Amino acid sequence: MQFYAYAVAVLLWLFMITYATLGGADFGGGIWNVLFFGRKEKEARGLIKGAIGPVWEANNVWLIYVVVGLYAGFPIVAATLANALFIPLTLALIGFVLRGASFAFRTSVTRIVTVKATWGTAFGIASLITPFLLGACAGAVASGKLPVYNGHGPVASWDAWLTPFAITIGLIALAVSATIAAVFLSVEAQRINDKELMNAFRMRAFIAGAVTALLGLVGLFLAPTEAPTLWQGMLNHGLWAVAITMAIGIATAFALFFRHYRLARVLIVMETFAFFGTWGIAQLPYILPPNLTIPDAASPPTTMRDFFFSALVGSLVLLPSLWFLFHVFKFQQAVPPVHEKEVKEA
Amino acid sequence: MFSNLIAARAQMGTSLVFHVIFSVLGVGLPLLLCLAEGLALWRKDGTWLSLSRQWTKAFTILFAIGAVSGAIVEFEITLLWSGLVKNAGAIIGLPFALEGFAFFIEGIFLGVYLYGSKRLSPVAHWLTSIPIVISGLSSAWFITSANSWMNSPTGFQLVNGKVTNVDPFAAILNPSTPFETTHMILACYVATGFGAAAVYAVGMLRGKRDDYHRKGLLLGMLVGGAAIPFQIISGDFNARSLEITQPLKYAAMEGVIHSGYGLPLYIGGIVDPASGQVRYAIQIPHGESLISHFDLNSYTRGLDSFPANLQPPAAIVHLAFDGMVASAFFMFFVAIVFWALYLKRKRVVPEKKWLLWCMAITGPAAYLALELGWILTEEGRQPWISYLWLLVRDAVNPAQWIGVSFFVFAAIYLVLGTTTAVLLLLLAREPKPSQEWTELMEDEGEVKNVQEVGV
Repeated sequence: MQFYAYAVAVLLWLFMITYATLGGADFGGGIWNVLFFGRKEKEARGLIKGAIGPVWEANNVWLIYVVVGLYAGFPIVAATLANALFIPLTLALIGFVLRGASFAFRTSVTRIVTVKATWGTAFGIASLITPFLLGACAGAVASGKLPVYNGHGPVASWDAWLTPFAITIGLIALAVSATIAAVFLSVEAQRINDKELMNAFRMRAFIAGAVTALLGLVGLFLAPTEAPTLWQGMLNHGLWAVAITMAIGIATAFALFFRHYRLARVLIVMETFAFFGTWGIAQLPYILPPNLTIPDAASPPTTMRDFFFSALVGSLVLLPSLWFLFHVFKFQQAVPPVHEKEVKEA
Repeated sequence: MFSNLIAARAQMGTSLVFHVIFSVLGVGLPLLLCLAEGLALWRKDGTWLSLSRQWTKAFTILFAIGAVSGAIVEFEITLLWSGLVKNAGAIIGLPFALEGFAFFIEGIFLGVYLYGSKRLSPVAHWLTSIPIVISGLSSAWFITSANSWMNSPTGFQLVNGKVTNVDPFAAILNPSTPFETTHMILACYVATGFGAAAVYAVGMLRGKRDDYHRKGLLLGMLVGGAAIPFQIISGDFNARSLEITQPLKYAAMEGVIHSGYGLPLYIGGIVDPASGQVRYAIQIPHGESLISHFDLNSYTRGLDSFPANLQPPAAIVHLAFDGMVASAFFMFFVAIVFWALYLKRKRVVPEKKWLLWCMAITGPAAYLALELGWILTEEGRQPWISYLWLLVRDAVNPAQWIGVSFFVFAAIYLVLGTTTAVLLLLLAREPKPSQEWTELMEDEGEVKNVQEVGV
């Protein structure tokens, strides 16, 4: 029953894209927390904090579900990733932990300035390192550096994820996160009617988007030699997806240019889905190029069936709960403390 | 540098010792919140409401650290034990995925509970605590069922060394699951209940003998005191099932070195399989045979029924078992004395100094029992990662740098633990929320109006 293998693979892929979008926005918030210089620095930080605060915990669950989903559905893939990418994945985990902890500590009761400052720095550094490492790991997978022969893959090495291609993908992950966050934050700024911040994030969205596009070109230039399986797959059955991705990218730029921030936000989410979708389609039928296919890597059919149906049942509980969450907070005004004070003073 | 096996076990052990503290609070505290807020609404009592508000603040920090340390553990299962994942992922991965959903629900309703008190009616706000209680319980159940599977693996067949006929639900419902999951869920309520009681007992010992502290103490003793007798009974069931499903673990925890008839019960002491003796123990002749089979001369399998290299470290396992049982009975007796005095004095919380001291100790005792119980479970299964099937040393990740990773994570836990403790102490010293019902309600009403204007 190959159906369940592909169904579970698509499900996990969708979860991963959701994580890339929502988690990417979080990471990007952290990136701008470090890289935002200028007159409105303080206000920008307040906006970022207000935007990430209520959502980061739920966002992380998507990634954890992908980890345990690989474990259950494609154990050989999970084991190979752990053996071959132990170093970058452990470092990414540390970044993940520092971000979570610093958010919990920074937003809680403490008024000790040094504690806040230390965890603030930890938050910034972790936000820069983690998406790069996750991107580099993705690059190692896409470029076929983790070949599996007779159920055995490579064991921890530096070369799999420090190739020019993997580093490019790592940088793309950073740039994409920064773009998503800048677009999201320009909407948040519009919501509180801060024109200056709105423009600041619009400009940053353009810059980050341009960097992403440039890095994308570098990636395309490297792909034929560095990621041949992916390149061939793209030429064979993925060109239409590439075209869609590019079209959405250009549309996003136009939406930003004409200051349709909400539309730009929808488009950047679609763009992320299209980008990852293209990667997935180009890589079909391999889960770990160059030779491990999705059906070969899948757990026995009974497990895949049970996994698939439990995910359906789980979603039946999850989706109404998510709806309830949005229902309660739908009209919430994202008012960071800084602005509240300003209003009171005025 | 030391071997991958030792480094990975050290890292996993540290992670679990740390995470279990926060995970039991993640299951237990929602019940305390739900009860306190329910009592507040029922009696229109500001003190109960104030308690629930204060616990909510603490829970925000504790839940976040629990989520972070839980994420570490989920990653580590794959990163450190890639051999287990490769061989057993198809069999026992499912409960982890199901727990993912339970955790998602818990996170969502916690978000509503934490940020929604100003947007929901008081009763609706209280109702959102109920899904948190339920999803916390289910999380604990799923994860413990996976651990039960490691102790008594079922749901698959081995044909020529290859795993076939996989049935994930049969794996989840392995023979240990009913006993272990019950024991763990009760442990959550025992640890949270006595933990809370200890906090207020310490406060009262420091002179804060007000209604706020008395009610906090009362609710803690109610939850802990209600759970502990069932926990002791469930422990007894566990021990009996262990003798059938995991005779090695049973022999180690009872200190039975040699198989035989009419064996003594050893209390404390050092089990030394090499010399075949249990040193410095209190011995009750025929005790083990009597307790386990209600027959003075019954037969019990000892450690010597297995080769020495497949035996668990009996000295640790036996002491962990005795320490856990001793802590449990201590909590049990303190709870009995507390409730006897409370009922005798017509519902007045007893405030005798010696009793407050005892209750202050039940908190640490509960966490000690929790940690010792897990040490017993995990050390008692050694050297197997999946009992009688897969060895720990065959499951460890062969990658380099695992030794370094252990030290890095040990440092992280030190920092996380210290910061959390400092923040909770700061929170405890902050002025408490008002205890006046009308004032609390007006506060929230006011905020609601401001927000409506904002919208």
